Amino acid sequence: MAKTIDDELLVEKFSRGDETAFDRIVEGYSADIAVLANRLLGWPGEVEDIVQDVFLAAFLGLKKFRCECSLKTWLFTITINKCRSYRYRQMLNLRFFSKPAATTSATGASDVGKTLVDDETFRKVRHAVQALPLKYREPVILRYLQELSTDETARILDISKNVLQVRLSRARERLKRDLAELIG
Amino acid sequence: MTEDTIKNLLQQADRAAGEPALVSIDLSAVRRNANRRQTINLAVRIVAAAVVVIALGIWSFSAKKTRDRQRIVALEMQIEQLRAQTDATLRLIREVLDEDRKQRRLNELQAQLASYTDPLEEIKKQVDKTAFILVYQANRMYRELDQKDAAIQAYNRVIEFFPQSRWAEEAQQRISEIQNEQTNNSKGDLI
Repeated sequence: MAKTIDDELLVEKFSRGDETAFDRIVEGYSADIAVLANRLLGWPGEVEDIVQDVFLAAFLGLKKFRCECSLKTWLFTITINKCRSYRYRQMLNLRFFSKPAATTSATGASDVGKTLVDDETFRKVRHAVQALPLKYREPVILRYLQELSTDETARILDISKNVLQVRLSRARERLKRDLAELIG
Repeated sequence: MTEDTIKNLLQQADRAAGEPALVSIDLSAVRRNANRRQTINLAVRIVAAAVVVIALGIWSFSAKKTRDRQRIVALEMQIEQLRAQTDATLRLIREVLDEDRKQRRLNELQAQLASYTDPLEEIKKQVDKTAFILVYQANRMYRELDQKDAAIQAYNRVIEFFPQSRWAEEAQQRISEIQNEQTNNSKGDLI
């Protein structure tokens, strides 16, 4: 709650022309946005361009932000849209120039000491998440990995809570089916 | 597999992938890009507004032109109607004037005709006058020249030529007087 009030103050300051407020917003949310973008794009590890784009869009639109939702929700919505555009551009590149997609190959910085079996298992889990259609993947990441509330997730995705529940349920069904051989 | 199991599995897989590389946001670049985009947006809006204004101008000009053309066509039609009305009125006036001229000419002719004396009357007058002259001459022959036979002959000529005139009666009366007088004279002579 305190963070929300702080956010509102920062937005208010920025609207009055104090650009240092924006610096504080970037400091506060860049890590969260980077993590979300990393998950949405399939754990590529490098998401600096996306985060830069998100804050550019935020800088341009912050004066129009009316605090109807939290700043975090608003920034996450921008992130979702930027990731969708990024994936769409990648898909076009793949289609027209036959470049391989960079989103599904990442293994990230695996912890040293984990067994090869675990590594392989988790890689398959991430791959299963990436294989989900966009409308199922986004709710799964926001709800289970970002651990946002149902309300926030529904608001970010601009869908009703019922639709969100249905999509999560279907996503779980698919994951169960895809990961059955791993987990048994 | 429950929801929690899936959630745990996903979170473990996520943790295993590790955090993304440290993101360092270049705020000056963000501001520079933002300013550039704002400038571009402003330029685009100005250009769009200019295009709209020009389009509106062209549209209003063409609309005005169309309106003017329609007005010209309407005025031409009105002029044509007025011309037709004027022609019709002029024809009517010409007809009325012709009628008036004819009426005046007729009146003149009637007046002229009225000024002429009736030829029959004239002839009657002349006939009456001729009969009168003949009776007058016959009277002179009888009374002043005592030419009774010639007088009776003249009276008979009046009766013959102008039997309908009053002078024929006068002539008949004179002949009767002469004959009576002759009868009386012969009786006197006998007595």
